[in-house]
Amino acid sequence: MPCERKPMRYGHSEGHTEVCFDDTGRYIVTCGNDGDVRIWESLDDDDPKFITVGEKAYSLALKKGKLVTASSSNTVQIHTFPDGDPDGILTRFTTNATHVTFNRSGTRVAAGSSDFMVKVVEVSDSSQQKTLRGHEAPVLSVTFDPKDEYLASSSCDGSVVVWSIEQQTQVISWPLLQKTNDVSNATSLCRLAFQPAAGKFLAVPVETRVHLYERGSWDHVGSLSDELLTQPVNVAAWSPCGRFLAAGAIGGLLTIWDVNSRLVVERQKHEKGFTVCSLAWHPSGSQIAYTDTEGCLGLLDGLGTSGTGTSSTKAPAAKPKDYDDLFDEDDDRLMDEGLSDANSPVKKAAEDEDDDDFLIPSTGRVRNRGAILNDENSLDTGSLKLGQDKFGDDEDDDAGSSVAPATAQRPVYDGPVPTPPQKAFQPGATPAHLTHRFMMWNSVGIVRGYNDEQDNAIDVEFHDTAVHHAMHLTNSLGHTMADLSQEAVLLACPSTDDLASKLQCLHFSCWDTSKEWMVDLPQGEDVKALCLGQGWAAVATSALLLRLFSVGGVQREIFSLPGPVVCMAGHGEQLLLVYHRATGFDGEQALGIQLLQFGRRKRQLMNGEPLPLSPKSYLSWAGFTAEGTACYVDSNGLVRMLNRALGNTWTPVCNTRETCKSKSDHYWVVGAHENPQQLRCIPCKGSRYPPTLPRPAVAILPFKLPLCQTSTEKGQMEEQYWRSVLFHNHYSFLSSSGYEVDEAAQTQSDKEQQELLMKMFALSCKLEREFRCVELAELMTQNVVTLAIRYASRSRRMNLAQRLSEIALEKSTQLQEDEEPEDEPDYRQSEPYNTRQNEEDDEEEQVEEEDGREMETEETKRREFSPPFLSSNILDNMRSSRKLAPLSGSAGKPSKGPVLKPLAPRTKAKAQSTLLQISSNKMPSKKTPEAAEPAADLQKQPDVVAPPAENTENKRPKTGFQLWLDENRKIIIANNPDLDETDVIKEAMGRFRTMSADERLSWTERAKGQSGDAADVKKRKRAENEVVESDESNARKKSSSLDPSSKLSAFAFSKN
Amino acid sequence: MDPSEVEFLAEKEFVKIIPNFSLDKIYLIGGDLGPFNPGLSVDVPVWLALNLKQRQKCRILPPEWMDVEKLEEIRELERKEDTFTPAPSPYYMELTKLLLNHASDNIPKADEIRTLVKDIWDTRVAKLRLSADSFIRQQEAHAQLDNLTLMEINTIREFLLDSLNCMYKLRSNLQPGATKGQFADY
Repeated sequence: MPCERKPMRYGHSEGHTEVCFDDTGRYIVTCGNDGDVRIWESLDDDDPKFITVGEKAYSLALKKGKLVTASSSNTVQIHTFPDGDPDGILTRFTTNATHVTFNRSGTRVAAGSSDFMVKVVEVSDSSQQKTLRGHEAPVLSVTFDPKDEYLASSSCDGSVVVWSIEQQTQVISWPLLQKTNDVSNATSLCRLAFQPAAGKFLAVPVETRVHLYERGSWDHVGSLSDELLTQPVNVAAWSPCGRFLAAGAIGGLLTIWDVNSRLVVERQKHEKGFTVCSLAWHPSGSQIAYTDTEGCLGLLDGLGTSGTGTSSTKAPAAKPKDYDDLFDEDDDRLMDEGLSDANSPVKKAAEDEDDDDFLIPSTGRVRNRGAILNDENSLDTGSLKLGQDKFGDDEDDDAGSSVAPATAQRPVYDGPVPTPPQKAFQPGATPAHLTHRFMMWNSVGIVRGYNDEQDNAIDVEFHDTAVHHAMHLTNSLGHTMADLSQEAVLLACPSTDDLASKLQCLHFSCWDTSKEWMVDLPQGEDVKALCLGQGWAAVATSALLLRLFSVGGVQREIFSLPGPVVCMAGHGEQLLLVYHRATGFDGEQALGIQLLQFGRRKRQLMNGEPLPLSPKSYLSWAGFTAEGTACYVDSNGLVRMLNRALGNTWTPVCNTRETCKSKSDHYWVVGAHENPQQLRCIPCKGSRYPPTLPRPAVAILPFKLPLCQTSTEKGQMEEQYWRSVLFHNHYSFLSSSGYEVDEAAQTQSDKEQQELLMKMFALSCKLEREFRCVELAELMTQNVVTLAIRYASRSRRMNLAQRLSEIALEKSTQLQEDEEPEDEPDYRQSEPYNTRQNEEDDEEEQVEEEDGREMETEETKRREFSPPFLSSNILDNMRSSRKLAPLSGSAGKPSKGPVLKPLAPRTKAKAQSTLLQISSNKMPSKKTPEAAEPAADLQKQPDVVAPPAENTENKRPKTGFQLWLDENRKIIIANNPDLDETDVIKEAMGRFRTMSADERLSWTERAKGQSGDAADVKKRKRAENEVVESDESNARKKSSSLDPSSKLSAFAFSKN
Repeated sequence: MDPSEVEFLAEKEFVKIIPNFSLDKIYLIGGDLGPFNPGLSVDVPVWLALNLKQRQKCRILPPEWMDVEKLEEIRELERKEDTFTPAPSPYYMELTKLLLNHASDNIPKADEIRTLVKDIWDTRVAKLRLSADSFIRQQEAHAQLDNLTLMEINTIREFLLDSLNCMYKLRSNLQPGATKGQFADY
């Protein structure tokens, strides 16, 4: 049967609980052992309205806006519904009443009591009472005959009695039940029920069956039973149409019978097997609400479909009897069709008609269905129609004259249903109807509102007492909204009949003596939301206006809102405004968001974009992180943060529900920080918001991007990386809006991101995912790419290393392009190079590169030997790199020098060769410039480049270490004069090893260059220049990109 | 060992406080504390918590075990078992005393907690005396007592050791052939 059992939810404290629907079916109303009557808008209503009726509430009945309850004070009271105002006491007993019920018209109430009496009271005049005496034990249950003639009651003395109300006499009495002495000891509550509408039957739960007695004759006409029902039935309830009977049993079994056929049409089991102690049908007959003895509330939904399902199964079931011979095989087909059809929404719409009158509407429906089916089934429609007609006849006397449920007549609209727009709220405030509540909890402090008999007051408390001492204000104006900042407290109240809506500001940081100001809003305009920023206050009103005030009370800008405001938040100069963009459908809210920036340059950062929310959720918090990034939380607990780097999109950063233990637990968010990454919130057990007492403690949740497969190492690192990127976006925002930025933290975060990238790179390498490696390298900064290159070459992935080196080059040129604009012009003016004039066009890039490098190194030196600028530059770089490396320390942040250095000279030699070519001609071409450079230096600057001069004398190929040793021997000896030769070498070895790998590499390269070409450096150099000139038109970038790879291969070679 | 010394040791235990001031990490010999953010709980040693509390710079959050229900459970268990049950905290008595004396306004149901802890203490000390009694009575050479806290050991140490010494002396004098000279120095 298609019937959805919704999960149970906590309703009341443990104990007998009752439930009913209001007349319209909009609310579910429950009462329980805690003495509260709760009014639920739906099963998912986390904040039901409640009316306290006494210490315990035993029973309730609701009709025509009157709520009648039996409470522990031995009275039966009336409250208005849904307001919950007390409306007098209907009657009293000497002990508590056990069950109350309305008659059909709602004019009388019957109440059974533990003092053995049943009273029937006129609602309009409680003095008109009729007392029915005769039970010899507490009364279990009472029910009115729909025609108001009789009343049936069951009692612990074991009897079920039908009374004549007028004569106050027993009409008949059956000894059906077990005798007990008290309701609490009774095996069954024996909630009996008269059939509504026709009132033909009285249903009495007896043991595991429900007996049906015919009204008038009081004959036992049958029993409803089910083999699965093994425990006593507690409660019986008729569907509003009178065709179905639902029974709830001890042990939690819910059974629904079709009374005419006496067949079970639906069985459901309570999810925990608790005893069902109350059942109520929705006025439309499509839902059943039930409660158990543990105080939980449950709902069966979609019963309408099951209802039709049975009618259609029944129709064919009746038909074969008469028309068996005619349509033997098609019947089954049709039955199937009918069943499957029963699930369709069309069918659901038709269900009500079929309940109240079978003749015309049902035929119409069946014909329609026939038309939808294929031809051969069209024959069956006739038979089905007949079958249904017959079926209708059977029932005609029950249903014919009866008044159909109100809903049945209404045309049923089955499309999307508009969602009621969510009300305006203050983020960080608990609902306004509470007597003790938080009016605001934010990063500055807490504003509490008390509104009970003794006191109507507001407490303001600051987390940091250095801001201001705590304040206690009397709330004579009835403020309902508050915001708190480092400068002021802003309060607002809605308008009353004679008073306008007021805005009050306590500007405590003010340096003059009048620290308070108040503004009346124009007549008919109510404050809906408010917020404080730095130096300003904003108020959104019911007139769809946003009024801006200075914090001192000067009225500033005013503008119209695009829709009714939902909430606002302020931070520094930013104002976040959420409003209703349109009507949402099917539980969705259609919200829009505006983000404005005040201050010197006023502008709108977000211009009414739709606010993404989780399905069927609403906004529950909106605000800024401490760093000023907008973020918000929806009712599904999903936290989203503004991603400025991705065109102001919203990224989910945390799902607070994931950390909740139970379904009804929530986290009430009070703030967020990006550095350190903290979501500050208050865990609330079984509710959406915390009570004011005991004072709740703030918990911290970590952020987590919902990336895939975060259980794997890869997913984890990806998540960490992107989270780090997202949460450090605010630096650029802060610096762009002129705030001070914590440089250390920023570099720290950059470092962290690059480290993560490197780890991911290493992981991908391990997994043989070279393409992925390259993708990752594209995210890296140039320095880290060189690291990656080294990693790749060390793990002998030459192909990868080459590709990476291309990326490295691209990055370096990019870097220089970024840097260039500032110095390029004056560079050109101050440095008239010969070479540049010769090869102006193609040298341009080169120049740029040079330029960037020059920034790093000593400019003066470069100027000294201007003509062959290539060599001088390289030397400079080498020197600088050697100087820098020890300072920069770890490999994490190698200086720029080593990367750039080899690029420039390489450029020309390599132009446009393919990979293969590169590898083949790599060696010689690479050597040339390097070798050339020391030589050139030697010529031009003998004093500066003394070590290379020595090198030229060496005939024998030298290793990089030797080269280095030559240069540094003197220093070592100077430092340790007592060392002999071997010790010097040892010492030098040690020092050489401590140098960064890059440096060693450069030495190795130098050594290679020298070993091969030292003799004819000059020649080579000239040759190279020629090459350069000939290739000048070829793509420079390409060629220069090869350099790192060659460098690497050299590294690999030396390793081998 | 003095009870005040035990209390001093207990002051190294950590409790959560909610400061109402803001301060960066502080670096102490015993470890780094903080950072202190107003409104956010932070772990600090009891001595600091009490100091801050006295200067009205923080609210102290009671330790998890300092809760009426949990203590009631522990009390029942303690009463039921003949041996010592694990104490809620190795310094439960000291912490209760310190926190309740200085920060009773931050601890819900302080009076009940005081009574409960006193009950637990009394039960345990009674057990301790009982076992000391049977230890001596049965003239055992050694015994094992688990789950004792420092303060509890401290209360009985002096008395037990002195009396054992004393009894040893008496017994050795009684025994025939015991050399008197051995105890001459006493």
